[in-house]
Amino acid sequence: MGTKFDYSQAAAEADRCLLCHDAPCSKGCPANTDPGKFIRKFKLKNIKGAIRTIKENNIMGGACGILCPTSRLCEKECCSSELDRPIRIGKIQEFLVRHGKEIEFKVFDKPEALLEKVAVIGSGPAGLSCGAELAKKGYQVTVFEKMAEPGGVLRYGVPSYRFSKAMLSQELDDIKQLGVKFECNCTIKDHGEAEDLLNQGFKAVFIATGLWDAATILKEQPEGVYNSVEFLADSHTENMDILNSQVKNKKVAVIGGGSVAMDCAGLASKFQASDVYLVYRRSFCQMPAEKDELFDTLDENVHFMILNQPEEYVTNQDGRLTGIKLVRTKLSDPDDSNRRSPVQIKDSQWILDVDLVVEAIGNKAFDDSNELYPNVDVDDKNLIKASLDDCQTSNRAVFAGGDIVRGPSLVVNAVQDGKTAAIAMDSYLKTRRSSDE
Amino acid sequence: MNKNDIDLSIDFCGVNFKNPFLLSSSPVSNSAEMVARSFDAGWSGVVFKTLNSDTVPIIHPSPRMHGYDYGRKKLVGLQNVEMISDRPLKDNLADFLYLKKKYPGHVLISSIMGFSNDEWAYLAKASEDNGADMLELNFSCPHMSVEGAGHHVGKAFDLIEKFTTTVKECVSIPVIAKMTPNITDMTEPAIYAKNGGADAISAINTVSGISGIDLDAIVPTPNVFGLSSNSGTSGPVIKPIGLRFISDMAKCDELSLPLSGIGGIETWIDALEYILLGSSTIQVTTGIIHYGYDIVEDMIEGLTDFMVDKKIAKLSDLVGKALNNLQTTDQFDLKRQGCSVYDLEKCVGCGQCYTVCKDAGGFALEWDEKKRQPVLSEDKCLSCMICSFVCPVKDLITFKEMPANWKREDAIVMDESLKTKIKYQPFKNFIG
Repeated sequence: MGTKFDYSQAAAEADRCLLCHDAPCSKGCPANTDPGKFIRKFKLKNIKGAIRTIKENNIMGGACGILCPTSRLCEKECCSSELDRPIRIGKIQEFLVRHGKEIEFKVFDKPEALLEKVAVIGSGPAGLSCGAELAKKGYQVTVFEKMAEPGGVLRYGVPSYRFSKAMLSQELDDIKQLGVKFECNCTIKDHGEAEDLLNQGFKAVFIATGLWDAATILKEQPEGVYNSVEFLADSHTENMDILNSQVKNKKVAVIGGGSVAMDCAGLASKFQASDVYLVYRRSFCQMPAEKDELFDTLDENVHFMILNQPEEYVTNQDGRLTGIKLVRTKLSDPDDSNRRSPVQIKDSQWILDVDLVVEAIGNKAFDDSNELYPNVDVDDKNLIKASLDDCQTSNRAVFAGGDIVRGPSLVVNAVQDGKTAAIAMDSYLKTRRSSDE
Repeated sequence: MNKNDIDLSIDFCGVNFKNPFLLSSSPVSNSAEMVARSFDAGWSGVVFKTLNSDTVPIIHPSPRMHGYDYGRKKLVGLQNVEMISDRPLKDNLADFLYLKKKYPGHVLISSIMGFSNDEWAYLAKASEDNGADMLELNFSCPHMSVEGAGHHVGKAFDLIEKFTTTVKECVSIPVIAKMTPNITDMTEPAIYAKNGGADAISAINTVSGISGIDLDAIVPTPNVFGLSSNSGTSGPVIKPIGLRFISDMAKCDELSLPLSGIGGIETWIDALEYILLGSSTIQVTTGIIHYGYDIVEDMIEGLTDFMVDKKIAKLSDLVGKALNNLQTTDQFDLKRQGCSVYDLEKCVGCGQCYTVCKDAGGFALEWDEKKRQPVLSEDKCLSCMICSFVCPVKDLITFKEMPANWKREDAIVMDESLKTKIKYQPFKNFIG
């Protein structure tokens, strides 16, 4: 992660860029960002052009610059790695977008919204990207958000030390500048309400509600056990002080080995827990989190309790959590798919004393999520069935993208879904328009 | 105002250019295949690589260029010993016809160089007859060793006038004279060109230089099989020289011809500087040698954004706009003085400012060893600002004006008592 670039650092880093003829970085972005081009523009002092290149392609370019696992996307194939190290593309991108605000550069003029009304449900990266693209095309876009403020996972799912609200509000301003309207605290929750929007003047709907339920590890959930969704969301709401008091000077265990687990462990550390343990049943190198996230978490003095599997929570007489019973594991021989599984070591149970546990093994859809859109087909995990090529659902006027389609995925993929959906919705509405005539 | 309101087109000697950006006569404009791609990238015109009349065989030295790097920065300068076009005249003229047919809205300028009156006339006519919109007379190629050609003409001013007159007598298209910078005053040869009938001046050609020495072979670079030559330096390092000559000519009332600026232009900022000092078109080679034709996209976009920002719709309104603010040093208001300002919140503690101020400035800095930070005594600051040039952090060191009654301390004298022993009389100016 590290600190943000200032102008000199960003310019020096851009200066290292080799401006490859067929820039491999520009082929590595799920949202078609073209670092080869925006770095060239920056290097040739066309700084506004560089910002324009980023933002015209990706309205959430600043968020992606911060949150993307760039080391396995654009930076992965960087030719500079052959010389010393890859160009830090994400950090240059974040700098450029932030710099745009500093120099008061407005990338977009407000388009005339002469076309149909369209609705977007959910204001996370997919919804925001879709809304912005549709507004650029001249649609009247309303984004419905159930929380008090827009942003979805960007506001409530990422710790603020990792993603600043300043960047979020800057990019929301860009989207508002395009004419997108937001309805927060909205109550689209009853049976069929998402599809009912089609009877209320909206000609197409994009569903991007994300995944806000948490998978649980152990059946018994005594007081003192959080799930990652609540834990991260509470850190952004009025519950933050309560959360802080529950963590400060306490022993906290986070269970899981993915990016969200790293976020929770990092957050517990920022909230001054006396000890933070990261409990994972496989080995260090099997953790699904990004490498730099793992090392950032180590830098937060988190204790990695690898090859340990939770068996049950230990409580006091009042039923409050006092520890986790863990059983040690070892790795099996590789199976047919070359995967090594954790195998419990007999009689190796031990108790880790903790005051608080955060279960962070993954987000999922609420069991009743398709109540909102009963005519839209979902799979057995309640994920909406939609093709990634056009985000089209089984209801012709309803489109969907982001995690509610893909399952847990990257912000940049959600952004791309929003773009894909906007193109598909535009072409659907064009066809409708011409058949109406 | 937005970018649709911006007009980058410009009139140059009665010819309309859709933007001011042209390829200069050089390796980057060697053939129609290359020039066509440059037009597709956005360049509005080309000064084609200087034609030869097939009378003297042209063979380029090998290797023909050498890069001049500074630290990590590649190609801050370029040394080259390339000659005029080594292609048969017929090939070049066929390329002219192709370009004019395929790109009628782009401007084709033929660069020519002769060894005699007749040859100048012959090449001028051949160019005009095959579609050239303008001519550029190459009085400045630095690599011609023959008397009466290239830069030798550019330094023999009567020949400039003579050959320009010859060309003007046999063609009706506008004629630009290209100047060598390897002289002290460019307005003088430019006026000779004007007297010969030139419609515009382009400058500068490459600056005579030596980029370095191959220390194993003890041969300067480029090492052409054991020998090198004093040859043309181009690229960012020569921009200050180019800007100076352009502004000299732009300020010369007796000359008052349109100018085409050349020399170290890579970015829209470089181009704009040439425009603000009097150029109405811009020619580029080394920038393209470094980055390719695509840089024109950034020149157009950057210049357009600047004009939107400054609410200037027409490019012609920018031409020469900085000239009034360029005067001789005796015009400065020396009563106004200032000094440096340090924003130490940003300081990383490298101490380069301290070293340079001590060894090259006014010794206005102390070094706080504990904090690892400079401590400024404003009264000693010379406002040379060299500290700000070496400081790695942007805007940490800036300049501020001091109040009218502020006085800078004099540099210390090591031993005041020695003043009684010096051999000295005040200087008396008897003249006038």
